[in-house]
Parts: sequence; structure tokens; C-alpha cells
Amino acid sequence: MVVYGATLLNIALGLAVLTIGLMVVYLRKGDYRLFLTGQRTALGISFLVFLATIVLVSNLLKSNFSIDYVAKYTSLETPFVYKLTALWAGQSGSLLFWLFILSVYATIVVLQNRFRYHQLMPYVISVMATIQLFFLLMVNFVANPFNPIDAVVPVIDGMGLNPLLQNPTMAIHPPILYLGYVGFSVPFAFALAALFSNRLDAMWVRSIRRWTLFAWLALGCGIILGGWWAYLELGWGGYWAWDPVENASLMPWLTGTAFVHSIIIQEKKNMLRVWNMVLIITTFVLVIFGTFLTRSGIVSSVHSFTESSLGPMFLWFLLLIIAVSVFLIILRLKDLRSEKKMESFISRESGFLFNNVIFVSLCFAVFWGTLFPVISEAVRGTKVTVGAPFFNQIAVPMGIILLLLTGIGPLLAWRHTSRKSLVRNFSIPVVVGLITFLISFLFGIRSLYPLMTIGISGFVTGTLVMEFYRGIRVRVKKFDENPFAAFIRIISKNRSRYGGYIVHLGIVLMFIGFVGKAFDEDNEWALKVGDQVELAGYSITLTNVEEEERPNHYAWIASLKIEKNGEHFTDLYPEKRIYFHNNPDPNRRQPHSEVDIYSSFKEDIYSIFGSIDTETDVISLKIMVNRLIMMVWIGGYLLLIGTVIALWPSKLSV
Amino acid sequence: MNKKFTVVIVAVVLLVVFWVAMGVERNELPYATIGELENYQGKLDGKRFRLGGNVQEGSIVRDKTNPLLVEFIIEQGEETLPVNYHKITPDMFKDGVEVIVEGEFVNGTFQADNLMTKCASRYEGDIRQTQMTETKL
Repeated sequence: MVVYGATLLNIALGLAVLTIGLMVVYLRKGDYRLFLTGQRTALGISFLVFLATIVLVSNLLKSNFSIDYVAKYTSLETPFVYKLTALWAGQSGSLLFWLFILSVYATIVVLQNRFRYHQLMPYVISVMATIQLFFLLMVNFVANPFNPIDAVVPVIDGMGLNPLLQNPTMAIHPPILYLGYVGFSVPFAFALAALFSNRLDAMWVRSIRRWTLFAWLALGCGIILGGWWAYLELGWGGYWAWDPVENASLMPWLTGTAFVHSIIIQEKKNMLRVWNMVLIITTFVLVIFGTFLTRSGIVSSVHSFTESSLGPMFLWFLLLIIAVSVFLIILRLKDLRSEKKMESFISRESGFLFNNVIFVSLCFAVFWGTLFPVISEAVRGTKVTVGAPFFNQIAVPMGIILLLLTGIGPLLAWRHTSRKSLVRNFSIPVVVGLITFLISFLFGIRSLYPLMTIGISGFVTGTLVMEFYRGIRVRVKKFDENPFAAFIRIISKNRSRYGGYIVHLGIVLMFIGFVGKAFDEDNEWALKVGDQVELAGYSITLTNVEEEERPNHYAWIASLKIEKNGEHFTDLYPEKRIYFHNNPDPNRRQPHSEVDIYSSFKEDIYSIFGSIDTETDVISLKIMVNRLIMMVWIGGYLLLIGTVIALWPSKLSV
Repeated sequence: MNKKFTVVIVAVVLLVVFWVAMGVERNELPYATIGELENYQGKLDGKRFRLGGNVQEGSIVRDKTNPLLVEFIIEQGEETLPVNYHKITPDMFKDGVEVIVEGEFVNGTFQADNLMTKCASRYEGDIRQTQMTETKL
């Protein structure tokens, strides 16, 4: 079985080379049979990758510890599901998984476009096969998941999967993130194909609209799930730390978001054609860069895989992508340039343009901050880091500007907006914004950024509600529908527009959740049973500490009675666990704080059992009161719902 | 019109670059080695640093009655440095692990307010266990 897996990857590598070769010859000679064969070999690469993945998964499930990877990431006691998810727990397995998802996409692209886009497809297939080739080189020669174990005696049991990774959210966070990451390779392939073939009309943009939205959605969901997992499992009470690897996933999301907006201009107005090329290429470069950052160890991150020899190969691949793209864009610059010009600052186009400028600037700031230790070491010789305060200082004002544009942009008309329509569209939302601003001021909020965010959120919500209201009113008048039916109709008649609005509403909610962060309270105490402490109007009593031995860990369970205004409010049971507590080697035992959270719309009470002194029975406890954090998750759901609505195929288009 | 747009966009971009540069200036934190601290002879108090190293075997002392008071020593090759930390320690924090500490010198001792651990040996995928310094929006 082991041999099969490695052999499958070998043959796939050969097929990738063959596919690229066939397409190149087809493009020179024009013999259509070559193209058809190339299509089949392209499908063949993916098929072999599927088989190789199945071989690795079945070995993981069967606990075949003669494979190094299986022995490193699973053990006999690893639950079934997590034997499966071990596929992406380590370096080589996750590379194969990347390749697997890429192959799923490649298969869909080839099959879906068998009879379409004849000028583009040879190039699209070649580009996808080249990306596959790169990852095949990796898994064949640098990090082969089928490597046999380097041990003389047979291994009885593997090392097991990190207990932190044994969590449902964590099981789905990487695949969803990968779906997004890898998904951008499809629009990238179409962009390069358009450049190669010089078919620069709106066709390539239309062909990738849904792919782009899908990749963008998956990446966004992956990021949110990662934050959610960190919040539920990691026990520091936050969801975003501006860690290099988090930033690596945020950067392509930012440029991707810019792209999702700016392709609308190209579709409707045939403008920004050079810019769109630059954006999608940048996004894909950032995807590869992110994959590289996670695996090269050039910046110290808590997420990173061990340092490995993958780094240089990734850099060469990055350079290749950038060189080819830049060359092609320069070559086609004349044809790409748009005839049309911007007409007014107060227009939809200009709104989109500024949205793009801010998104890309924000991405640049994140990039700079993430790589600053590397840059400063190269330039000044000393390693200097900039932490979360830097990122917040930059991202918060830019985020607020973006939020404002979310409200303004959709209400501006194409080309030029008249003063009359400005007044008509904006007067009510502006009043709503001012009222929310005043109310929050009266409630005692005095810091500038939260006040602005709340006020602007009110304004944006106002614009969104107005948009829905207008759409519904027109239908009610015209077709005599009831308002609810009209509501459903306007969405289904114009999915991308209203789906987009729902996404915007989700973003507003997330910003409200971010604002809540400014009002969080927390404290840490050393407590004995019976002790009572106070935080944010709650009084917290440690009523009991119990001990319990469970199948693969030992647990201390603290019972906390939470009271508010003298009345019983809720109980929380945070735990301190020691995983693998029976292991004779103390270094193999793994402490873990299992947090307990009381959630509500207004605030979460987040409890962390820090440590216990088994002699004196004193425990350390941290309680955080996290305001409005649930809005972030609800906003995430709206983002998902809105994008799915926008993605949903209408009867006419394919 | 396109010229006007170019001017405005260039202005926005310059503003961002300026803002980022200022942000770096204000928030930069030297990532020093323990050896490099000697260069600051006598001027350490009140200076903020980010330091890396491994927790010296057997150096972790936790107060019996107040587990929030922790002292330990980090080592980097031959150099060592005692560290005080007054918060809940991350789960991965134990003898021998690689840690990154942030904090400042108070009367000559390093008072860390942020302790991050890396687990290098056991798992390939390292997992964050940090007590983050509160960063308010």
C-alpha cells in the first residue's frame, strides 16, 4: 500500500508534465486531438491524486505505523474522526491535502468547460497543471507523506494527535480555509489564460465570478472558524491575535475582497482591466506566500510547522509566478487599457475604486507589519517586532473608512450622482447614524473609535434597510404583493445585489462585535474553595473543586457560582486537564485548560482554570467579560448566508 | 478627471504609508537576545523588550499560596535571565520549552506581561497558548 501511494504520486507528476507539453504543442500546431488528449491527462493527474489521498487516508484509519506520517500524527487511541483529520495535521499530509483540493477544482474546471471557452481552456489547463506540478514535486521529493518510518523495530503505537486539534471546529477549520486558499487558483488560471490568449474582454471575468465568490466565502469562513476555535478552545479569551499565520490568511482575503468588488466595474463598465489583473494575481501570490510563510519558519509564529527545506522551493515558485505575470501584463498593457475614464468622484465607480485602494493599503500594512522582523533584520541588523498594537492602530481607522464606504457605495449612481438623489438617498441614514451616535454618547461612551464605529454602523444599517424598503415598496405597488413575498422576490430577482447587502449587514454586526472589545473586563485571582470575587457587576464564588479520571486525561473541575445583584445568575465549570496523564514520561503529559463560557447577546462570561496547587488546593482563575462578542459570530453567519444567496445559480446564467 | 483621481489616490496611498511608518515607529519592540541586553548597561529599567529562550530545567518556582506568582529562568545558549510573571501561565509552559516573553525591566529584574510558548518537540503543528496583553480597540 505504501508503495502504491508513492507510485501514484510519481505517475501524477509525469502526467502533469505531459499535460503541459500537450497543451503547448496544441497551441503551436493546432491539432485538436492533442487538446482532447491533454484534457484527459489533466483529469488523470487529479484522479491519481485522489487515489493517493485515499491510500493515505486508509492507512491513517488502519493505523499502519510503518508509514512515518501515520505514526507521527495518530495513535491507536485516536478517535476515528481525528484519524481522518490527521490528513491535514502535519506538513506532508497537508501538502497532499492542498493538492487534493486543487485537483478537485481542476477536475470541475475541466469538466464544466469542456465545450466552452475554447480559446482560454488550453491555457487554463496548463496553468492549473503547473500549480499541480509544483505541489507534486513537493510531495514526491521534499515532503513525501508515504515515507516509511525510520525505525528498526516495528512501531506498536503512534504518537497521537495533539489534543488541541481534537475539536470539531478545528477539524473543519483547515479544510474550509484551504478550500478558499486553493480556490483562488481558478480565477488566477483564467486571468493568466486571458493574458496569454489576449482575450481580454469581459469573458474571463464572467467565467470566474462564481469561483471567486466561492473562494472568497470559503476563505472568510475559514478565518472566522479559526477565530471561533481559538476562542472556544485556546483559553485566552480572544479570537484574533495578528499572528503571522493569521495575517497570511487575512491578506489574500483583503485583496480578494477588493477583487470581488472591482470585477463588478469590469463587468458593468469594462473599466479597471489592468487593475483587476493585478489584483487577482496578487491574491494568488499571497495565497502561495501564505502557504510558504506557514511552512518556512522565517517568521516565528505559533501556528507554524517545523522549519523545513520547503522554503526555497516556495520562493522560486513565487518568483516564477510573479515574473510570468508581470511579463504578461506588460506585454498586454496596451490591449488591457480601458477606453473609459472616471467621470466623477461622486459615482459608484469611484466608490469601488476607493474601496479597492483602502483594501489594498490595509493588505500592504498587514504585510509590512508581518514581515517587519525580517525586513528590520535585513536592513538594520536588529530584529524588531511590531505587535498587535501596531496592527490595531492601522486596521481600526481603515476598517472604519471601509465600513463608511459600505454604506455610501451602493447608494451612488453609476457615472455621476446628482445632488438631488444624494439628499434623497442619504438624509434618512445620516439621521439614523447621528441618532445612534448620540445615544451611545449619552450612554457614556467617550472614546472616539467606538463612537464613530457605532454611528457609522447606524448609518450603514439605515442605508441597507432603505434599500430593501424601496425595493419592496416598488413591488408592493406594482404587483400588489404582500411585503413579505415582495421581500423574497426582490432577493431572488437580484441575488448578487441583495446577497451583497446581507453580507454588508453581517460586516456591520462584526464591527459592532469588534467595538465590544473596547469594553471587555477581566481579572485573575488565586482562590480557595469558598472564596468570592467581583468582576463587572458579577460576583463569582468558587464553590467546589472536583477531580475525575477519564479515558485519556485527568481532570480537575472547578464549580463557579455566578451571581448578579444578589441573585443566582449561572454556574460555570472550567476544567484543568492533563492529557496522557498515565504516560511515564512527564514531558509527554499535556496540560490543557478547558474553558467554560456563558454566552449571551450582550456579553460572554469566559472562565479559565489556570492551575491548581495540589498541596494547598489553591487554584488560579481568570474570568473575562467579553462584550458583544456574539455579534462577530452572527455577522459571520450573515456573511455566509448573503454570499450563498449571491452564489445561488439563477435559471438563466450558468 | 482621471488625473484628479490619480492625484487623490496617490495622496491616499502616501497617507497610508506615512501612517504605517508612524505606527511602526510607535510600536516597535526590540527582539533582543539575552546577550545583547549587556549593551544597555544600567539603562534597562523601563525599557520594553521581547526576548526568546528556553525555560531552564527545574527553574520554575510557583508560589504555593498564590499560583499567579511565577518565577523562572530562560536560557539562550550560555546566557540566562531570571523572569517574573504574574499571570496564569499557558498550558504548554513547562521545563525546557521554547518561550517568548514580552515585558520590561523593573529594578533590574525582567517583569514579563506576555508569555508565549512554542512546543517544538512533540507536535509539528505548534499551537498558540498565549496570555495576550490586552489590546484595546
